[in-house]
Amino acid sequence: MALLEIKGLKTRFFTEDGVVHAVNGISYDLEEGGTLGIVGESGCGKTVSVLSVMRLIPEPPGKIVGGEVLFEGRDILKMDPDDVRKVRGNRIAMVFQDPMTSLNPVLTIGRQIDEALELHMGMDKHQARQRTIELLETVGIAEAADRADDYPHQFSGGMRQRVMIAMALSCNPRVLIADEPTTALDVTIQAQIIELVKRLREDIGMAIVWITHDLGIIAGLAERVIVMYAGYIVERASVKDLYGDPRHPYTIGLLGSLPRLDETRKRRLFSMRGLPPDLIDLKPGCPFAPRCDYVIDRCWEETPPLEPVTLGHEIACWVDVKSSQPSKPAN
Amino acid sequence: MVTYVVRRLLWLPFLLLIIGLITFALGLYGPGDPVLVMMGQHANPEAAARVRHELGLDRPFLVQYADYVWKALHGDFGESLKYRGQPVGRLMAKRLTVTVQFNVVVMAVGVAVGIPLGILAALNRNNLIDYFIVLLTVAGISLPVLAIAPIAMWFLAARFHLLPSGGWDGIFSRRIIMPTLVLAIGPAAVFVRQTRANMLEVLDQDYVRTARAKGLREYTVIVAHALRNALIPLFTIFGLMLGGLVGGGIITESIFGIPGIGRLVWDAFGARDYPVIMAYTLLVAMAYTLANLFVDVCYRFVDPRIRYG
Repeated sequence: MALLEIKGLKTRFFTEDGVVHAVNGISYDLEEGGTLGIVGESGCGKTVSVLSVMRLIPEPPGKIVGGEVLFEGRDILKMDPDDVRKVRGNRIAMVFQDPMTSLNPVLTIGRQIDEALELHMGMDKHQARQRTIELLETVGIAEAADRADDYPHQFSGGMRQRVMIAMALSCNPRVLIADEPTTALDVTIQAQIIELVKRLREDIGMAIVWITHDLGIIAGLAERVIVMYAGYIVERASVKDLYGDPRHPYTIGLLGSLPRLDETRKRRLFSMRGLPPDLIDLKPGCPFAPRCDYVIDRCWEETPPLEPVTLGHEIACWVDVKSSQPSKPAN
Repeated sequence: MVTYVVRRLLWLPFLLLIIGLITFALGLYGPGDPVLVMMGQHANPEAAARVRHELGLDRPFLVQYADYVWKALHGDFGESLKYRGQPVGRLMAKRLTVTVQFNVVVMAVGVAVGIPLGILAALNRNNLIDYFIVLLTVAGISLPVLAIAPIAMWFLAARFHLLPSGGWDGIFSRRIIMPTLVLAIGPAAVFVRQTRANMLEVLDQDYVRTARAKGLREYTVIVAHALRNALIPLFTIFGLMLGGLVGGGIITESIFGIPGIGRLVWDAFGARDYPVIMAYTLLVAMAYTLANLFVDVCYRFVDPRIRYG
C-alpha cells in the first residue's frame, strides 16, 4: 500500500464568474520515502491539488467535489476536522511558495515553531524551545538560540524559507509537501534549499511531493514526475523517461522551451503557441487540443484518459507522437 | 525609544505656542467683543472702554499674548469673562472630569461591542449573521445622535420607564446607561467596520494558511494568528478617539443634561469668553498630541516591525 494515494480528486471553485474547474479528477500515489515532482505552468491546478490533500482549500468558494485522499489507508476527505488537524503539520507538513508572507509578522520565529511541537508532540514550552533551536540549527540558522526570539522581518527570504522547512519538519512528518518553495528565492539560495531538503530527506526518510514549474529542479530531485495541464494529469513517468522520452505533446513543448547547456548548435527556443484554457468554461475534449501540433478530430470530442504507453510511463493523449508527424510545423 | 518620546515631547510646547497664537488672534481680531456681550449693545462707550482697560484688552496684541503665555506657564489661565471671578482652570477642571469619565465609558462600550461584532461578521462572511451586523453598522453610522437620543428617551424613559433619561451622578449610576448606549453606537459601528475589514484581509494572508497547515485549532488560528494582526490598524482610530476624549459633545451634553465641558465651551463661544476658549483649544491640542504619541508608543509594542530611532 502506498503511503499517500490520491484517487480521482476533483476541486472546484464556485465564483461569481462561474465554476472554476481547478482540479479535474487526478490520481497518483506516493511511496514511503519517495519523491514525486509535480510540474506545470501557473494556474494548472498544482497548488490547489495539494491544498486539497490537506483540506486547506478555502471553503467557500472552493469545494472538493470528488475523489479520495488515502493517507496510511484512511481517507482524509472523510475525516472529521479534529482528525484532519492531527494529520496537518504532524504527519503531512507543507512548505509554501512565498516565505516573505508565510510567516506571521507579529510572532517570533521560535514561537511559530514551538506551537506545532506543543500541539502535536505534547511538549511543554521549555522542551519545545529546545527542540526548536535544534531544528533551526539543522536547517542552518546560525546562533539559533538567539535567533529564535527574532521576528520574521529580521530574516532574509532564504532564511525564512529555512525556518518554514524547520517548522514543517518539526514533528517528523511522513510526507512533506513543498509548493514551489524556491520560486521566490534567487538561484544560489534555491540551490542551498534544495541541497538542504535532499539531506533532510536522507536523515528523516520522509516522502516528498515537490511542486514547481522549473523542470530543472525536478530532474535533480524527484524519482517520478507528474505533468499537469488545466487540472488534468497529462503525463506521468520516471524522471529518466520524462526527460529522455517525453510522449505528451505538452511535455514535449515544455522541454523544448528550456535552454540547455549541453547544446552545441544554437537554436531558437521553442515557444508554445496559445494560452492555457480558461478553467471556468472548459470545453469537452482534450484541454490541450487548441495548442497542440498533433491534434486529430477525436481530441475535440473526448478527453483522453491517462493510459500506459510503456511500463510506468502514462500519458493522456489519443496520438502516438512516435508514429505521427505534427500536423502543423513548429514555429 | 526614550529619545524618541523625549524628542516628540519637546515639540509639544512649540506646537501649543503656535496654536495658542492663532486662537488668540482669531479671538481678538475676529467679530464680537466680550465687553459688549457682557454689558449689552447699548452700553455707555466710556464705561465699556474702562472695563476693557481693566481687563487689559486694550493693550497691543503681542503684549496680551505674551502676558497670557507667561501666566499660563505659571498655571494661571486667567479668569472667565462670563463667570466673573472664576479662574478658568478651576472652572474647566470640574467639567472636564465629567466629560472624560463619560467619554471613557462610551469608548470602552464602543470597543467592547464593536470589536467582537466585527470579528463575528468577518468569520461569517457573506451569510445572514454578517449581513445583519453590517446592516446594523450602516444604521449606526448613518443615524445622528440628534435623531437617536429623543427616540431612546421617549422609548426607554418616558414610555416604559426603564431608565432615567440622563443627568449626571458619576459613572456607576444608572443615569449613565442611556447616554452611553446612544453615544456608543457611533464608535461601535466604526470599530465593527474596521475590525471586519481588517479581519477579512488578514484571514486571506498566507501566514493564516501556514497556521492552519500546522494543524492548529481554528480558535488558535483566529485569536493567536489573525486577530493580533487585524487589531494593529485599529490603534490609529483608537488614538483619534482617545484625543477626542476631552472634547465633550455639545449636543449630547445638552440633551442628556450632563454637566461636561462641551456645554461650558459652547457658552464661552457665545460670550467671546477668550480665556475659556483659549484654555479649551490648548487642552484639546495637547490631548490629541499626547494621544498620538501614546498610540505610536503602543504600536512599538504590538507590531515588532516598527522601530523608532
